[in-house]
Amino acid sequence: MNDRSQELYRNLKFLVIDDQPNARQSLRICAQTMGAFAVEFSSGYQDAIVRIRRSTPDVILCDYLLGNDRSGQQLLEELRRYELLPDETVFMMVTAEQSYEQVVAAVELVPDDYIIKPFSPDRLKFRLDRALQRKRFFRPLYQAKRNADFDSAERFVAAHRNSEAGQPYRFELLRQNAELQLAKGDPVAAQTAFDEILGLHPFPWARAGKAKSLQRQNRFQEARTIVEEVIESSPMYFDAFDLKTRICMDMGDYEEAQRTVQDISARTGRNYVRKRLLADAALLNGDAETARSTMEDVLQNDIVHGEPSISDRLMLVRSHLDSGDSFAAELALRKISAQSLETATLDEKTSHLALRAILSPDEARARFGALRQSIETAGLGATAQVDVIRAALILDEQELATRVTAALFSSDEIRRVFKQVRTLFESHGLESVFRDLQKQAALQKIRQAPRS
Amino acid sequence: MHRILDILSSGIHDAKNQLFLAESLIAQAEAEHGLKLDEARFAIEHAASRLSRLLTAYKLQRKVGSLSIDMVSVPDLLEEAALISASHCTHLGLRLNTESPQGLGWLLDRELLLDILTNAIQNACRYARSQITLSATADEKGLTLKVEDDGPGYSEPDVETMTGNGVGLFVAAEIARMHKSGARHGKLALANGGRHGGAVFELFLP
Repeated sequence: MNDRSQELYRNLKFLVIDDQPNARQSLRICAQTMGAFAVEFSSGYQDAIVRIRRSTPDVILCDYLLGNDRSGQQLLEELRRYELLPDETVFMMVTAEQSYEQVVAAVELVPDDYIIKPFSPDRLKFRLDRALQRKRFFRPLYQAKRNADFDSAERFVAAHRNSEAGQPYRFELLRQNAELQLAKGDPVAAQTAFDEILGLHPFPWARAGKAKSLQRQNRFQEARTIVEEVIESSPMYFDAFDLKTRICMDMGDYEEAQRTVQDISARTGRNYVRKRLLADAALLNGDAETARSTMEDVLQNDIVHGEPSISDRLMLVRSHLDSGDSFAAELALRKISAQSLETATLDEKTSHLALRAILSPDEARARFGALRQSIETAGLGATAQVDVIRAALILDEQELATRVTAALFSSDEIRRVFKQVRTLFESHGLESVFRDLQKQAALQKIRQAPRS
Repeated sequence: MHRILDILSSGIHDAKNQLFLAESLIAQAEAEHGLKLDEARFAIEHAASRLSRLLTAYKLQRKVGSLSIDMVSVPDLLEEAALISASHCTHLGLRLNTESPQGLGWLLDRELLLDILTNAIQNACRYARSQITLSATADEKGLTLKVEDDGPGYSEPDVETMTGNGVGLFVAAEIARMHKSGARHGKLALANGGRHGGAVFELFLP
């Protein structure tokens, strides 16, 4: 290995993650043979997250099996979803499993590369060199994406689709472009971009991408058909199950949503992102018991992020409420400290107040009433809006409940919570009020539709 | 049947982990004591790839093997295959060249192709007199990967006969066949002659 590349590797921060001391030793030797100087170790999942938070490595060498029912893939997903790892860091998966290729083909978030043991330091360096080159090439795109500067990101992709520098990355540019269109909120362009990729090969991730593009266009049935085909042909593609769950929730098919995510959740152990999705689907489906045991599991065991988040705690309160256990709901609500509420989002604060009002109407009536103005103007998410409707109905604030429901109807969000809201109105003997709201929304839609 | 496959897979998995530890310890000894133990490392990697190949062959025979297709850089594939055998060729006094169009990408299973090319190069090493060339060419019909040497050539340059003789050629022929594009599929061909007048191992992928 020549001096210049030794110099390059000397300046990179390595993190080696493996639960087996012998294997850590092997990877350290590899890294040092390449010239690496700063090599840190981690013995497993949680420790790795702590270290990455403290100091971002340039290169991560991570074994696929991390023990304790955890995998390198789960770690990668956690790091990317919670934005703990910048795109510039190289994540290299290391495994002795020949069939790891099939794993990579079946996940949405892929490592930058992987290498199958045994390998010489030369070969690891060969793959790292290429991964680092690719990172250098895409750096302006990563930056633009981080700043949600979609114009710059699109200009980068357009400039390199036929450039010489972009030639080795032409396929990667296609994929980046498709994902960019989704992130930008142009699902029609995203669909075209995924179709271009599918013209080359029926990659499961590209089919799932197309399904997601259709979902965002409210073409739920088509999206569902594609995602069901992906599940059929690539049963290891777990993300497709999550996508199907969300599509079913959008379609109001809560039963199938819960069944889908419950099946896959049972097979993927400690994937807490998925468990939260299960709790959402179960609550919509009226299975409050499952929602509540799932949220209790999440709060107790997903301790990677320190204190449980307010949104998780609120979800547990809702699950207890729907189970008819207001005592447990009260206890769970009290666990949300005043201090943590200071940094909460407006949605969370509103939900907190609404749930408080539901549990102790007399105490909370005044404060809840004071919020009336901001509730109308805040542009709350569907979950917080449903909490408000529920509280308003309990506090006999029928007018507020009606206004918030009307606002929900005028957005696409009503789809996901339609049955839930209808049940709330029904339980207060207000079926006719709900039907009127539904009628008005339908008329509004017809009036707004372009004349043909 | 899947149980046997699981047992085989996990046994091979453990063995490869141990071989990796052995190889790393050798690399460490090389670095610490200024030794060159390339042939020891080569023997370890060789043993590991034989184990993987046996597992692949078993899966193919049982029809449970499948490909993981991705867009792969062909020059990188060739360069990596050459890198795996580079020190062994040097040790034998053989020149190993690669030739590939720049920037060419192809849809293929990288790990399986690497193994097949490595095996073909190592076979060539046993017979070549002075040189081996690994090359790639592409046209609208497909990608052709060749390993050519200047040895005496195949005793019987016939795929049907030769694939019965070894796991390596059996795997190569099956994996080539599994690479498909529309109605066309890949194939393995063996010949004598070529640019160096010896054996020609030729994989065609659509």
